[in-house]
Amino acid sequence: MPRSIRGDVVVIGGGPAGMAAALSSWEAGAKSVFLLERNEYLGGILPQCIHPGFGLQIWGEELTGPEYAEIFIENLNRTGVEAMTDTAALELTPERIVKAVNPQGAWEIKANSIILSMGCRERTRGMLQIPGYRPAGIFTAGLAQYLVNIAGYLPGKDIVILGSGDIGLIMARRLTLEGARVKMVVEIKNSLSGLVRNYVQCIQDFNIPLLFSHTVTEVRGKERVEAVVISEVDEEGNPLSGGEREVECDTLLLSVGLIPENELSRQAKIPLSPQTGGPWVDEDFSTDLEGFFACGNVASVFDLVDYVTLVAERAGRAAVLARPPQEKHILRAGEGVHTVIPQRIREGKDGFLFIRPQKSMKGVTVSFWEREKIFYQKKISICRPSEMIKLDLAQIPWPQEKGEIKVEIKGTEIQGIS
Amino acid sequence: MNEEFDVIIIGGGVVGCAIAWYLAHFDLQILLLEKELDVCSGVSKANTGIIHSRSYWTPHTLKGELHLRSLSWIEQAEKELDIEFLKTGALTMAFSRDDLEFLQTLKERGKIEGAQILAPREAHTLEPMISDKIFAAYYDPETRVASPFELNIALAESAFLNGVHFILGQEVVGFEEEKSIVGVLTENGKYLSRWVVNCAGLSSSYLAQKSGDNIPSLRPLRGEYLVLDRECRGLVHHVLYPVPVGETKGILVSPTTDGNILVGPNLEPAEDEDTSTTKEGLKEVEEGGKKLIPSLPVSQTIATFSGLRPTLPDRDFHIFFSSRFPSLLHLVGIESPGLTASFGIAEYVGDLLHKRGLKLRERSDFVIRSSFPVFRKLPWEERERLIQEDDNWGKIVCRCEEVTVAEVKHALLSSPGASTLDGLKRRVRVMMGRCQGGFCGMRLPFLMAETLGLEERRIVKSGRNSFYLGEETKEVRSGASLY
Repeated sequence: MPRSIRGDVVVIGGGPAGMAAALSSWEAGAKSVFLLERNEYLGGILPQCIHPGFGLQIWGEELTGPEYAEIFIENLNRTGVEAMTDTAALELTPERIVKAVNPQGAWEIKANSIILSMGCRERTRGMLQIPGYRPAGIFTAGLAQYLVNIAGYLPGKDIVILGSGDIGLIMARRLTLEGARVKMVVEIKNSLSGLVRNYVQCIQDFNIPLLFSHTVTEVRGKERVEAVVISEVDEEGNPLSGGEREVECDTLLLSVGLIPENELSRQAKIPLSPQTGGPWVDEDFSTDLEGFFACGNVASVFDLVDYVTLVAERAGRAAVLARPPQEKHILRAGEGVHTVIPQRIREGKDGFLFIRPQKSMKGVTVSFWEREKIFYQKKISICRPSEMIKLDLAQIPWPQEKGEIKVEIKGTEIQGIS
Repeated sequence: MNEEFDVIIIGGGVVGCAIAWYLAHFDLQILLLEKELDVCSGVSKANTGIIHSRSYWTPHTLKGELHLRSLSWIEQAEKELDIEFLKTGALTMAFSRDDLEFLQTLKERGKIEGAQILAPREAHTLEPMISDKIFAAYYDPETRVASPFELNIALAESAFLNGVHFILGQEVVGFEEEKSIVGVLTENGKYLSRWVVNCAGLSSSYLAQKSGDNIPSLRPLRGEYLVLDRECRGLVHHVLYPVPVGETKGILVSPTTDGNILVGPNLEPAEDEDTSTTKEGLKEVEEGGKKLIPSLPVSQTIATFSGLRPTLPDRDFHIFFSSRFPSLLHLVGIESPGLTASFGIAEYVGDLLHKRGLKLRERSDFVIRSSFPVFRKLPWEERERLIQEDDNWGKIVCRCEEVTVAEVKHALLSSPGASTLDGLKRRVRVMMGRCQGGFCGMRLPFLMAETLGLEERRIVKSGRNSFYLGEETKEVRSGASLY
């Protein structure tokens, strides 16, 4: 029979979100905290992110991924949090029972509160339906990052990167430094997907061509990638005929977006938002199902790990307090808004609101609507889809009566890097 | 190899492996030669995986005859191979009064108990998501779904277990007369056999021409497919066929044995062995699928692929002895329903060889294959028990399909075992789920190299030159430790 254990708080996923959540649950007085991680080590994707740029927001210091992770691992070691590595959570029930396996056996863990911190996965070639052959040499950027930084292998020699997401930009530099030739980065949109600092430091500084409004329309090569066909696209992203050209390469890296991993959330029947792909959450990062919390990229893909840490700490504390359900404001993404998180506001007294805009704009106004009237506006000079707008919830004069609130972003659209 | 075989089978697709499995029931020395590094690497790896029922056989053709003959083997095959076909049943959807006649033909052709023509409302009760534009549907309870990989590999394993020799990665290039036997020439040498069966799929007509036989070249017809995420499980429960227009069964929507939904195939001429997909082709497949299921969630596509039908102009199977080598049997044009017909083909090939003098003495020691446990399908008590036996059962290497290190190691060490990443994928479903190897692609090449004692950089995806990894990084090359 599977071994049965009980926990005050069970955290699923030992990446930055899970580590911070477990730690803050412990610090908030949880009697037992289990942190389940499928890898042999904690840290999630951080150990393979050997570049600097982490920690500026919360510690004012620039750390590498492994350094950032190490702080949490060390802190966790000083607590009674039981980190179960090499442990894969496979089933989750609405009654807060997690079923998992590890080399010691099969486990059934009943928890008072469950924190979901499974992170996200990368979009694949199959999802994009890029036509052509299916040879070796097509990697998601994160997989390539693992191969280079952890396993010690280059994915190939001549590389084309599709998508200007951050992992793709970071990998363009990393691969160049390792002696590979990054022939170009192609981006289907007319603006950057990743952070501007990554464009400057990883693309511009290394003279790597970046083509906007272009995509890969065919993969050539039966055994290993031999070339890709790139095409210019119209505003809807449809390839323009006549604009194709072949680029010889042996590797195609995809940095085309991340998807929150919510297979377990679905099993537990936690309501999910079609916008974020993750559970609806309030400022405590409590989901719509009592006793379940969701933080980090499982709830919505964040731009900075620092923000993931901030929200995970809130989730960790809230999981211990276990405030009873109550009526909440419901936030909707209006014009110009890609996602907003949290999408529920319990009180709005503390915590943050993260808004991801749809487009790059300048002269930006963020407006909050209650029915037909705007009750709060905030001016921002510039916004980009790659960067979340972070607002203090306490700054916003939330209406007395709980109801639906629409968030809107308006401004003048800008293209390219700007 | 100086040994002389009774039978050499050329081609490790489902047909070659079914023949090997069938002949392994008799007291014979058998060798199977496959040009790729694994069985199930050509036509057999990319098809719809349907065991078409009696309603869908084609009268007055050899393919039709062997289709019917094959269906009587189903239960025995399931038992001997320890696999289970999914008996989903099928609905053939008619969109106009004119199509009704075709449904009637299917019903009469099948004479299947329980089969019936349904009014739209009855059809919707069975399959709520189908188009409301249907005029009627033919329901057939006998259609089954197979995993083409599982069947092909189970046949190969059973054949191996019963003494069939396998040489993989050995391409046959011609034949030579050796007194009363045939010399099968490969890139690296010559194998001698009393009887030779050429079931080389796409290469079969080329090999027949090599033996001096007059057969037209194959015309490969490509079919493209979409695979939808397992999250779509339950969208359809039966195989959905349209009423066909033209030469094939049309674009189907079908559940798979693993809970995905498969949509396809279209039909288009293909150059040579071109298994690429095209934008137009995938669009056509999407539209074909949406004709049957208007709400088809194509945004849940996790993979696309294409397969080839090795067709001859008359679209029939051609099974004949070589005019120059009387003991060389060619199987050319084995296209759809080749998977369904594979057992029938095997038995038919046995009969033909026997009539020409091959002695078939049934063995008393035939061993029944038992399939290796699939972690994902095991109850929790059984999982716990297995982990206590071997902790590799507690190490999940592929999260999407819940595959353990124990299963991967078994697939690598079994015979004929996986020697490529695609071979692993076809045996245990790693890299086949929604992340398409994004996570397990970090582990598998290294686990494979370690288990097989290979250099990591020699690991290939499928073909000999489909290397997965590039050069080592500077740190590693300079001897630094990464840890």
